[in-house]
Amino acid sequence: MSALGLVGLELRARRRRLLALVAFAAVFLAAAITGRVLATGEHGQVDVNTLFLVGGLPLASGLLVLGWILGRYPLVAVLVLMAGLVSYDRTEGYARVYAVRPTSLLRIYGLRFLTLGAAAFALSAVLMPTFDLIMLGGEWAGPATFVLILAYVIGYGGLVALLSVWTRGDAWIALLLALVSLVWNALSQAGMLAGAPPGTVELITFLLPPQAQFLRLEGAFADVKPIPWDAFAFIAGYGVVMLALAGLSLAGREV
Amino acid sequence: MPGTAMIAFEAVTKRFGARRGRGGVEALSSVTLEVPAGEAWGVVGPNGAGKTTLFALLLGFLHPTEGRVRLGGAAPRRYLRRHGASYLPERFRLPPEWTVRPTLVALARLEGYDAAEARRRADQAIERFGLGPHAGKAVGALSHGLLQRLGLAQALLGEHELVVLDEPTEGLDPLWRIRFRAVVEELRRAGRTVLLASHDLAEVERLAGKAVLLERGHVREILDLAPTGGERTYRLELAGEAPALEEAFPGAEPMAGAPGVYRVRAADAAELSRRLAALLDAGAVVASVAPATEALEERVRRALGRES
Repeated sequence: MSALGLVGLELRARRRRLLALVAFAAVFLAAAITGRVLATGEHGQVDVNTLFLVGGLPLASGLLVLGWILGRYPLVAVLVLMAGLVSYDRTEGYARVYAVRPTSLLRIYGLRFLTLGAAAFALSAVLMPTFDLIMLGGEWAGPATFVLILAYVIGYGGLVALLSVWTRGDAWIALLLALVSLVWNALSQAGMLAGAPPGTVELITFLLPPQAQFLRLEGAFADVKPIPWDAFAFIAGYGVVMLALAGLSLAGREV
Repeated sequence: MPGTAMIAFEAVTKRFGARRGRGGVEALSSVTLEVPAGEAWGVVGPNGAGKTTLFALLLGFLHPTEGRVRLGGAAPRRYLRRHGASYLPERFRLPPEWTVRPTLVALARLEGYDAAEARRRADQAIERFGLGPHAGKAVGALSHGLLQRLGLAQALLGEHELVVLDEPTEGLDPLWRIRFRAVVEELRRAGRTVLLASHDLAEVERLAGKAVLLERGHVREILDLAPTGGERTYRLELAGEAPALEEAFPGAEPMAGAPGVYRVRAADAAELSRRLAALLDAGAVVASVAPATEALEERVRRALGRES
């Protein structure tokens, strides 16, 4: 594949973002090691009660927050690495340098998507099990971890790709949509949207990123339950539709 | 395929910010143009005339609001996917973190060459454009002139029928301008269709056979730059009187605003020398003689001045 020559350059161009993500991952690992050193429980795992006795509420709640954010690390990695996937090239004029070559832009940006998706996956796939192993005293959530990461890469990667064909604020809009869908899902589950006009809740839920499915995958990851493959399939389908729309849009879009 | 139209603009209008084809700012207006294959054409005009928009439409970066653009008889994007083009954008840029040699290798791979051939072509381009000492540098660390040379190097990695250069000599020092001319001459000899936009009218006159004069999105004139009847034009400056000028150089014309300076014609250097000898024999004192590179400038000024 002739576009393969760009892979090294793509990673080089994003090396600062990669380093930032590695540094961000190091915060989690440092917190896990700190917890482990200060409060190892009977079975070798970090014991929150002991942690509370050692550092009070700030230390215990800090570690819980980190644990919550850790589940979203793949989302953060996807947004950071894929921001400007197409839009940056259009703004800076790089896309025109590619567009005159006897190769398809779809191939170039498709390969970039795969490269950055693989990088986001690799970073998350190292961090999340390592964090588990430190915190749980040698145990980890198993393959559900990788399924969760893959779901984020496909689902949100597809969303960023589509937005990036259309606008420069791709990753920020994707983040906003992720947050809205998080809150929307919580409101829905709490029954607070019961008064909405018929069909509205379903329509908005359908249009937003599939947060309910992500929560099911996260639940399996956190509680070491069987993987809900239907939830993964839904997210993968959502991502593939987004990617297909991005490809169609790219073919007709001015560069 | 000399003689057939490589580039065709059919009543092309481009409006930016138009809604359903209406309103917006008109960058190009009803442009109709045909460039035969194998010819070198210049595109000239003041800032904002529409030169870059013309190129963007030609290469399918932008879609016309009205009319149609054809490249080799096909829609631009379809043509480019199949054949590609050599293109140097105005203000050429690439990601600043990229390094020179791997960039050229990667872009050569996009031209469809295998890894070994891509490396060979990259090294050839590095050599041709004097980038050897800078091959390991990041693009962001290159000076303006070096970046322009990298732009030319990447544009000419492939051997395409169509060559489009937007302000190619911008930022080049005099030595590299001369080398650039040799490169374009090479492309012309190889029968490529070359389109170049430049504010340097002398450069266009040297390199192109015709020039499209754009103003405010309209084609004002298509100027024929080929020497008339196979003759070349020279700028002859005489000190004092001009005895027997008409006999030595029939059709000599005084140049506007330059007393003692004439535009004269000769088929080649040998004929020019013979005619000059006749002039000197008649007692004229020649102060200078040079190719009349300013002719296009005068014609552009006249064409624009007539309308504006």
